[in-house]
Amino acid sequence: MASLGALLEGIASLAVILDARETFIAIPSGLALVQYTFRLDPIACYFNLALAVVTLAISIYSFGYLDGFAPQKPLGVFCFFYALLLISLTVVFTAANALLFLIAWEMMAVAAYFLVSFDHEKTENRRAGLLFLVMSHVGTGALILAFLLLGTWAGGFDFATFHLARHSLTPLRQGTLFLLFFFGFGVKAGMVPVHIWLPAAHPAAPSNVSALMSAIVIKTGIYGIIRVSFDFLETPPLWAGLLVLFAGIASAILGVLYALIEPDLKRMLAYSTIENAGIILMALGATLVFQSYGRPMLAGVALIACLFHIFNHAVFKALLFLSAGAVVHATGTRNMERMGGLIRPMPLTALCFLIGAIAISGLPPLNGFVSEWLAYQALLGGFGSTPSLTRMVFPVAGSLLALTGALAAACFVRAFGIGFLALPRSSQATQAHEVHVSMLAGMGFLAALCAGLGLGANLLLPIFDPLTVALLGVQMSGNLTMAGGIALSSGSPRGGTVAPAALAGLLVLLSLLAGVLLATWWRRGRRVQGPTWDCGLPGLTEYNEYTATAFSKPLRMIFAVLYQPRREILAEFEVSAYYPTSVRFETEVDPAFETHLYSPLKDWIIARANWLRTMQTGSIHAYLAYIFVTLILLLLFGVRS
Amino acid sequence: MTEMLVKSGVQLVLLLLVAPLISGIVKTLKARLQTRRGPDVFQPYRDLFKLMRKGMVIPDTASWIFSVTPYIVFATATLVGLMIPMTATDAPLSLFGGVLAVVYLLALGRFFLALAGLDTGSSFGGLGSSREMTISAIAEPAMMLAIFTVALGANSTNLSEMAQAAVSQSWKFLEPSQMLAFAALFVVLIAETGRIPVDNQATHLELTMIHEAMILEYSGPYLALIELGAWIKQLVLMTLLVNTFFPFGLSSDWTVAGLGMGLVVYLGKLLGLACFIVMVETTNAKMRLFRVPELLAVAFILGALALISTFLF
Amino acid sequence: MSFIHDPEFGNRIITLMAALVLVLQIATAGQRWLISTIRLFALQSFLLASIAGIIAYFNQASHLYVAALLTLILKAWLLPLLLERLVEKVGIRQEIEPLINVPLSILISGCLTLVGYVVAESFYHPEETSVRAALGHNTLAVAISLFLIGFFTMLNRRKAVTQVLGLLFLENGLFLAAISLTYGMPMVVELGIFFDVLVAVMVLGILVFRISETFDSMDVSKLRKLRG
Repeated sequence: MASLGALLEGIASLAVILDARETFIAIPSGLALVQYTFRLDPIACYFNLALAVVTLAISIYSFGYLDGFAPQKPLGVFCFFYALLLISLTVVFTAANALLFLIAWEMMAVAAYFLVSFDHEKTENRRAGLLFLVMSHVGTGALILAFLLLGTWAGGFDFATFHLARHSLTPLRQGTLFLLFFFGFGVKAGMVPVHIWLPAAHPAAPSNVSALMSAIVIKTGIYGIIRVSFDFLETPPLWAGLLVLFAGIASAILGVLYALIEPDLKRMLAYSTIENAGIILMALGATLVFQSYGRPMLAGVALIACLFHIFNHAVFKALLFLSAGAVVHATGTRNMERMGGLIRPMPLTALCFLIGAIAISGLPPLNGFVSEWLAYQALLGGFGSTPSLTRMVFPVAGSLLALTGALAAACFVRAFGIGFLALPRSSQATQAHEVHVSMLAGMGFLAALCAGLGLGANLLLPIFDPLTVALLGVQMSGNLTMAGGIALSSGSPRGGTVAPAALAGLLVLLSLLAGVLLATWWRRGRRVQGPTWDCGLPGLTEYNEYTATAFSKPLRMIFAVLYQPRREILAEFEVSAYYPTSVRFETEVDPAFETHLYSPLKDWIIARANWLRTMQTGSIHAYLAYIFVTLILLLLFGVRS
Repeated sequence: MTEMLVKSGVQLVLLLLVAPLISGIVKTLKARLQTRRGPDVFQPYRDLFKLMRKGMVIPDTASWIFSVTPYIVFATATLVGLMIPMTATDAPLSLFGGVLAVVYLLALGRFFLALAGLDTGSSFGGLGSSREMTISAIAEPAMMLAIFTVALGANSTNLSEMAQAAVSQSWKFLEPSQMLAFAALFVVLIAETGRIPVDNQATHLELTMIHEAMILEYSGPYLALIELGAWIKQLVLMTLLVNTFFPFGLSSDWTVAGLGMGLVVYLGKLLGLACFIVMVETTNAKMRLFRVPELLAVAFILGALALISTFLF
Repeated sequence: MSFIHDPEFGNRIITLMAALVLVLQIATAGQRWLISTIRLFALQSFLLASIAGIIAYFNQASHLYVAALLTLILKAWLLPLLLERLVEKVGIRQEIEPLINVPLSILISGCLTLVGYVVAESFYHPEETSVRAALGHNTLAVAISLFLIGFFTMLNRRKAVTQVLGLLFLENGLFLAAISLTYGMPMVVELGIFFDVLVAVMVLGILVFRISETFDSMDVSKLRKLRG
């Protein structure tokens, strides 16, 4: 067990070293391996760096985490697929050939499938795995089609060939390819409306795998879209950028709204992944729009916002999934309503979750704030410098980004407040205990990274230079730092600045000031412990506490158009309706995409499949006849062309 | 560096002195308008001193979040106060963060306040947190649109730059875009400071509480810190409103004469805005919680119209 | 006091008032009380009359004074008065439920404004730099938005009185377009329109009264029952 873990960690750290070297040198170097080619250009290395960092933390964490599974589960199998997933991810990011890319892509999906259904005793998990596999293949189908078309038109399957041939493609072909790629990669990225597999699959997997999937696997989709729009095709037209932007807005808003009402901690995090994928797509869409208007500097700001948020999300989402995993490990439930009060038995896990929650809500001075700040600056710049109607898109996007941020904050206040604070809500929560030290180490590493990436953001900007040069041909870091490098600037000389490290320092300073103020004045006072006000009822119990469902109730009412909530109250009474003997309350939210989009689609497919069934007679002669007819048709077709 | 320290010190003192005063003025004016005598304008200072010297009760269900929150609320509000221009166009710490940082720092304070509300285990706290996060979430888009409008006029999100741009064209507030943005931000101010159509600072009835419900368990010096933080936040938002839309009298330097003049005009403007707030509070009834989104939708549309107006009118 | 004769200054004032008119229009979309809607209409008409007066003053278009005066008397005083009486008589003071809920209708009104601006943009020729062209450009957008939102109000509301009000708002939009683009239509046409509106409101008022007597409600969707 331990040796396997060590092996994983070895792989991880090896990847770190490898990537660190390549990223900083950032020279595209080709390496021929039979017919498979790998390319380590800046963009591939950047994604690999994220992979390596997250994997390092997850592998450390897994030491302690997998102990819980030890006797009943085949850990060897788990580790095999985990390693396979890591390898295929690395290959996906570095492949320089369409076929190799697709093979790795499939390997990734298969490995992820086995990891998702690792806990296969539960039907729910098996269903989640199946849904994941089906959706993944729908996406892959689009990708295969796109690559085949591109390969035919470009005359080769090397990425380099695609790059060279891009000017010879007609706009119609480019548009078709873009749509196919966007759909195919969008499925993996968790874009609305093809996101439905994500909230099912991510929570079903063991938490370390959930972390890896949410942090990195969905980023392969984003990587694909970036690769396609900057490498394979010419500068995408305006509509493509706007399409990405709108898809991003929809994903961000819907993702966070569904996260808000989810009582399952891990599903909530999965929905929040959709939201963050949306934010990333928004920044990417803005980049494409700016590029189609020929404004490289603005595109640079938006691209850095996009790339930085990719890394940041990888870090804090992994952190949150790992802490959620620790909580599930300790309490045995994923339902927030049955947690509560965990900050006392599990103080360090709680702290890690809190740091992740602050970071993902985009609050200063952590890393989420920095990337969202850059996104706002790009959107603001977009309003001032694009022609008439398109410009209205940016402030609307900006205000919806603000809405997303505020809702995310509400969502994580709910998760932390209900899950970790106040009184335990169940016996499992009372008996919770702090987790293994290796798990804490893994989480602590990521939490420190959240702080580091936020406070030191201005020092990290030069890392993005090779990336922006490669994709847009501009060098940004000089424009984005100000005042001797302590402040981040919006790019224009008098635009706007922010200095996260200084803000953090000042916050501490002012808190100390308040402390001094209190210490000097507060002489006579005493500090006593007392019971919380319980409205005169005998003692405060967990039944008095606000629940997660109640917390999101106002928002459920406000956005009732989207949620279509269903509510059922069943009160039994004997004498008067005012004195019920028992009340049953049930509330449910209509999963809009499932009922209105996928169910009709499923019914349609099943109807068509039934129709096809008439062909399946079961007679061996009939099948032979089919083959025979097909053969003849193919022969004739071959002769004709 | 020393210059920045001196400026910060001066502005810090100003913040701490003016914030309770404005709160007192609003309370007194409101009482007078409702034909009550009410306390005099210095009552908040007395409250503060009284609370500072009292003992405090910490709920035994609460964790360290409860004790940390007052400091964070106070620190974020004060830090934001040092980033906005009060009497002079260049704010002491405007380099460290512009209007976006202001919005998000206030959100950080709110984040912890909402956690503290949940931390006590009381259902009041949860109720307050839930409502506070909801209202702030739906106020955010309107606020961002209005801010975008102003930032575009100045071509910057830096608050000092924005004030400078506003000073250089002082009749700008007559433009429709500015007026609409002002209206939008005013609604947001009402919502964020817990004023009447949205929330009521004076109530302790569970049906109507929002902000007060979250801090129900606080007492003594912690309550003092939170109250002071809330007053400073209110002052900051009011300052943002008066100084970006009506930038008269902002001094361009930090000389004593300039500051004195600036301070007088600044207090005058604040008094005007306070009167306006009092009028709104007195003439309106508190809305039902689920009517608040309508008000904020109006604010959102006002913000959107403001933006449209910037490139049309 | 030279600015009093400066058309540029006049334009600024008109633009500001046009923006206010638009805000009032959107406020109606969020209004539940019938009386308040009527008062908003009166206020809007008052602003329109002032705009007409200002245009007349700065452009020496004296026939617009007549239009301004007529608007003032008819739309800002007489029609609101009639409608208020009607509402009191019928005794229904509040719109129970618009077809689309209030926040959403406000948002839709905002979108319609955007549409108005887009349409106005397509008429705009930047090479015409005259004051008049700029003024037309600004107010045309507002006028089209008024028209669209008025129409939307008619669609969205159930009560007959609000539908009448929608029509009136719509007409206000037309009036604004007319006075700002061409400094008013020929006198005869204008008088005709005013008269038309007056008659329409009276007829509709009587109709509303009849509907409410017959069906005990002002809900126009109940008119469906008239079908055989």
